[in-house]
Amino acid sequence: MEQLLQEQAAAESADSGEAGGAGGLLQVAGAQEARSDDRMTLLLRLRAQTKQQLLEYKSMIDANEEKTPEQIMQEKQIEAKIEDLENEIEEVKIALEMKNLTLARMQLSTALKKNLEKNNTMSSVLMDDMKHILKLNKLIMKSQQESWELEEKLLDVRKKRLQLKQASESKLLEIQTEKNKQKEDLDNVENSDKIKTMQQNLQKEIQITTVIQHVFQNLILGSKTNWAEDSALKETVLQLEKNLTMI
Amino acid sequence: MSVLKPLDKLPALNTATGLLVGTEDALLQQLADSMLKEDCASELRVHLAKSLPLPSNVNRPRIDLIVFVINLHSKYSLQHVQESLRHVDASFFLGRVCFLSTGAGQEHHCSIHRNTVLKLAHTYRSPLLFCDLEVEDFRATMAQRLVRMLLVCAGHVPGVSALSLLSLLRSSETPPPEEL
Repeated sequence: MEQLLQEQAAAESADSGEAGGAGGLLQVAGAQEARSDDRMTLLLRLRAQTKQQLLEYKSMIDANEEKTPEQIMQEKQIEAKIEDLENEIEEVKIALEMKNLTLARMQLSTALKKNLEKNNTMSSVLMDDMKHILKLNKLIMKSQQESWELEEKLLDVRKKRLQLKQASESKLLEIQTEKNKQKEDLDNVENSDKIKTMQQNLQKEIQITTVIQHVFQNLILGSKTNWAEDSALKETVLQLEKNLTMI
Repeated sequence: MSVLKPLDKLPALNTATGLLVGTEDALLQQLADSMLKEDCASELRVHLAKSLPLPSNVNRPRIDLIVFVINLHSKYSLQHVQESLRHVDASFFLGRVCFLSTGAGQEHHCSIHRNTVLKLAHTYRSPLLFCDLEVEDFRATMAQRLVRMLLVCAGHVPGVSALSLLSLLRSSETPPPEEL
């Protein structure tokens, strides 16, 4: 490491010495500069590497200081514990990322503030962008408000429709019960005794009349007159043929 | 019985050493060649081994990454790998071990079920990679991936440690329910 540093110092001094020389030497100086640049990058890379490796060794030492529990646990428990620990690692990583984000945001806002203070606040592109953003935000808020109102109206209409439906349902139910009641009443009336006796009387009267009809028929037929010639007699006979049950 | 421990020796400057363990010599050799062909700023060294434990008389630098290569066509390679796993210290599995299974492309030659390797990787909490090492392009891509992993495990990438890479590589699928 020290050797490398010394070589690099020599190259730099050689550079400065030759810079004041002729133009032909300028190319050689350029090549040496490139080499010293390479050496610088190598050194920086090695520095980063050693830092990272040191960090790893330190964390191993810290981890080894923790005592592992000696109890014999079942495999499932061990797996569950491992998953818990892994989740812990994930959470710590996420927290770190969030903190980095907030720090970056804070840095950005301070840089922005300083930039604004330096420049003319009214004419910079930043101000235009911010004004545009504000306009868009207002537009967004307005449209959101409108859509909210429309949704409210829709909700009201739906409620009304539901109410109407319920009212019509109850009305139809009423109609149905009324109809059923009517049918019941009709059935009751039909099945009542008064109707029965009336029907029986009617049947008896019909039978009596039929018998009387048959008697008159047989009277006329038995008298051996030609009833087809006389129109009044023909009418009477035909009338007597009428079946009274079908009236 | 020597057990491989990570971080037991001091690292060599700007050097990263990987170890490929597997029974298929030709495949390992080809993979090692592809890895060494990769363009990177650090020096790479790749050791090949058929099985662990490694002979202790050789003076070797500290090993940063172990890749266990399992050929899905032969049960012998899986057995060998499982026996070698016993010679690896537990702290190696914090991100410095990777399983690589090859030969998944030819379904009818496979004698080891994919779920077996999945379960093995899940038990050891290490990433499992699938690659057909016979095909040139896949091998080159896998070599690139392994070189990146090796650099991270050796500490050559600032800000990323082997453990953080492990949690990044954690696959979101759990082993199939019939095996739990």
